[in-house]
Amino acid sequence: MNRKLLLVGLLLVIILLSGCTQPESLQSSGSATQPKETKSSTKETILIGSGATFPQPQIEKWIDEYSKTNPNIKIEYIGKGSGGGQNDFKQNLVDFACSDPPLKESLWNELKKDGQPLQFPIIVGAVVVAYNIPGVENLKLDGSTLADIFLGDIEYWDDSRIKELNPDAKLPHEKIIVVHRSDSSGTTDIFTTYLSLVGDEWREKIGSGKTVEWVVDRLGRGVGGKGNPGVVVAIKNNPHTIGYTELAYAYKENLKMVAIQNKAGNYVTASPETIKNAVSKISVNIPPPYEGYKENMATLLNADGEKSYPIVAFSHMVIWQKYDDKSREEEIKKFVKWILTEGQKDSSLVSGYVGLPEDVSNKILEETGLWG
Amino acid sequence: MGLWMSIGRPSINDRFKISLLPFSALILGIFILMLFVYFTNSIQILQREGIGLYTTNQWVASEDPEREYYGVFAALYGSVYTSVLAVLISLPLSICFAVFVIDYAPARLKEWLIIATDIMAGLPTIIYGIWGAFILVPFMKEYVMYPLYRHLSFIPLFSFEPLSGYSYLSAGILLGIMVTPFASSIIREAYRMIPFSYREAVFSLGATRYEATKILMGYIKPAIIAGVILAFGRAIGETVAVSLVVGNTFNIHPSLFAPGYTISSLIANQFGNAFIYKYMVSALFAAGLSLFLIGLAVNLMGIYILRRGRHA
Repeated sequence: MNRKLLLVGLLLVIILLSGCTQPESLQSSGSATQPKETKSSTKETILIGSGATFPQPQIEKWIDEYSKTNPNIKIEYIGKGSGGGQNDFKQNLVDFACSDPPLKESLWNELKKDGQPLQFPIIVGAVVVAYNIPGVENLKLDGSTLADIFLGDIEYWDDSRIKELNPDAKLPHEKIIVVHRSDSSGTTDIFTTYLSLVGDEWREKIGSGKTVEWVVDRLGRGVGGKGNPGVVVAIKNNPHTIGYTELAYAYKENLKMVAIQNKAGNYVTASPETIKNAVSKISVNIPPPYEGYKENMATLLNADGEKSYPIVAFSHMVIWQKYDDKSREEEIKKFVKWILTEGQKDSSLVSGYVGLPEDVSNKILEETGLWG
Repeated sequence: MGLWMSIGRPSINDRFKISLLPFSALILGIFILMLFVYFTNSIQILQREGIGLYTTNQWVASEDPEREYYGVFAALYGSVYTSVLAVLISLPLSICFAVFVIDYAPARLKEWLIIATDIMAGLPTIIYGIWGAFILVPFMKEYVMYPLYRHLSFIPLFSFEPLSGYSYLSAGILLGIMVTPFASSIIREAYRMIPFSYREAVFSLGATRYEATKILMGYIKPAIIAGVILAFGRAIGETVAVSLVVGNTFNIHPSLFAPGYTISSLIANQFGNAFIYKYMVSALFAAGLSLFLIGLAVNLMGIYILRRGRHA
């Protein structure tokens, strides 16, 4: 009896310890030597990616569609934030990563020691300003007013500056509650970069970044929501709020969106049409994939054009140009090519996401050498 | 000593003892390893900012490492504030509940009540969080905070206009509800274990039910303190639910109605993209370390109170 007991005890210890070593199958890295499974007779390849949560619903749809026609390939995507994805990619834990902001030059140079990384946009998103004022539709704001609202300088909804832009609206004398992201996020980065472009005081006092200092918090009129869902809940539940979120979330929750004045002076709300207009105007500013770090977010915002929505942003994918395992390289490139061609068609897109204009995706295919 | 001397010819008892050793060592080892990891990861930021990390309220994340600065005082303050509120709310709830279940509830109801609290304890915290964000916060704002603010705003506790309802109070109440099952199950079991002869003795002295309960509560004081410590520990470590109702703003204010932050929700909020910055990961580890220290302090305080009670 006692021996059995000891045996069981030992077995448990062994099981526990074996849990500490990393199983090989998890290291599906590009440069590390691949486990045998890829060469096994089933020929099922597993590709793993991680990164931004913003494109996740779209990527999942792509994976779903793609696996229908390619049953021997299994793709997994883990949404954990752009930074997490970049880190995973650097440490060779994943085959591809997705990041909303472009990679920084320092990271790019580090990556280059291991091989040539390629970065390119896969989908377009827009940051919209959503608000909740009962009885007020079609709110219009220009850039500098928007910046001053988020700065806390404009305290009440019936402020003369807001009234001027919306002479017909019945604006209440209520304090403005500003909702922002509490986690560090690419959405905040894009939005604050835009505010820095259009608001002088914002640029000097706050600047841009994935997390910034929200002065309105100290005034007691700020609320932080975790993730896009957190922001959306806070706006929906509280009258007299204003906040920024991704277009897809605003669509899903039916939030009222502010029409923002664009560079040409027109007030536009975000829609696939106005977003595509903007992307076509700024496509010259997208750097070639092998120099992805050169992308400058500021040059993509506040685009020219009569009907261009001013706050658009790309979500990017990062892959290696060469993988040690050739069959894996083949599969990844096939998938990427599919995303940039079939994946951009309306039938493959999730509502709220906007595909790349065809000239832009063709340019990327050409430059990555995936064409043909 | 005895253990090692008997290895030559171990009896059944000793072999059993030895087979247990790896497990206890493993648990202790994991704990020490975790502490070690937190320490080593915090060193970077502590060397850079020193104690300022815990005493200033600033959160400047910048891609330029020169400009980065992290001060978590607001979150530290919020963590302690909301957890103390949670304990203050859950303690009377759980004591009353324990007494009712053991002394008064009919046998059938008793079982159901216990099952219900066990389920409450096991519910995923996000469920509490969503309930808190959609039901509790709007309700509190409309029917509790605004009336108190309108009439009693000269009291510092009520001095903040509850614009959004996300506040220390909302977080404290939500946490109080969440930790009550844990505190009450400890108190309940201790109360149930009181030897029947003690109860008889108290009643034979002519004590009323209220007086008897009061005396018996004194008898299970260690369990109550254990319940408080557990409740506090769970409250201070809660992440998802709190971050949905606390407001997530770097704010330090004495009022119950002000929005704030907690360490746990700060870590949950910021960890995803922390790798982009040079010092933020380290700052978050250091913030986590402070929770270790607070937990340690609360436990030591509990031990101290128990010792003092014993000597008196």
